[in-house]
Amino acid sequence: MAKVYTGRDGILQLSGTTLAKVVNFTLQANLETLETTTLGDSLRSYSPGVLGYSGSASLLYYKDDAGNINTTNLLNKLIKTGTGGVSSSETADLTLRWVDGTDQNDIRLTAYITSANIGASTGEITRAEISFVGTGALTTATIS
Amino acid sequence: MAFPTHKPTGRSFNAGDYSYKKFLSQSGKEVRILYGDKRTGMKLQLVYENVNDTAADDFVAHYDEVKGGFNTFVLPSEFKAGWNGDALAIDAVSGNRWRYESAPSISSVRPGISSVTVNLIGVL
Repeated sequence: MAKVYTGRDGILQLSGTTLAKVVNFTLQANLETLETTTLGDSLRSYSPGVLGYSGSASLLYYKDDAGNINTTNLLNKLIKTGTGGVSSSETADLTLRWVDGTDQNDIRLTAYITSANIGASTGEITRAEISFVGTGALTTATIS
Repeated sequence: MAFPTHKPTGRSFNAGDYSYKKFLSQSGKEVRILYGDKRTGMKLQLVYENVNDTAADDFVAHYDEVKGGFNTFVLPSEFKAGWNGDALAIDAVSGNRWRYESAPSISSVRPGISSVTVNLIGVL
């Protein structure tokens, strides 16, 4: 059946577990292009370079009935104690999903959280904003 | 093997100079004596960005063939690609040939793709 997807169909998962109160997420695929135009050419030409993925997500800062906060496992990739910084194993297994009944359209990738923002503002709901960059190949790409 | 016929993505040419010597007297008067009638020492930098590694290694093969900076050679017309002026204006002038001023420099960009920079000097 024909369908236009909306925000109601979007799900963001971390390690296969759906995150609550996700406001939005985006993913961008970037192909680096290497210019191969030579002297005398009138039109630019390119060679494909390296393909990469990056994106962002915004979540309401939310504590469920059990006392668990939905953003904990994302924010703690960067916001943490200790002097070790971020290790190479501290990746996030993210799944961006668009659902149509039992039909799931997924993009799954291993990513490093590259920025995490959270604050508080009078009269506003607190949000956590994260940005991520994918490392390696996509695990799943079933959006087409 | 002749110099590779790939078209450069960048080119820089320095026209060189005639051979002369400058003498400065105590009074400050300057005298210059011309020793030759041919311009020489022109410099040419050719840049080949994002070429296949198989094209990049052609420059090393040619560098080997002419024994580095030892032997001289002529350049194919492709090095003047995009130049609409007098073809001789950016070439080694009559009587001159090209020689490697330094070894070709190859920078790897990504697997299979490299950029090459070649520096040549015109010599009599």
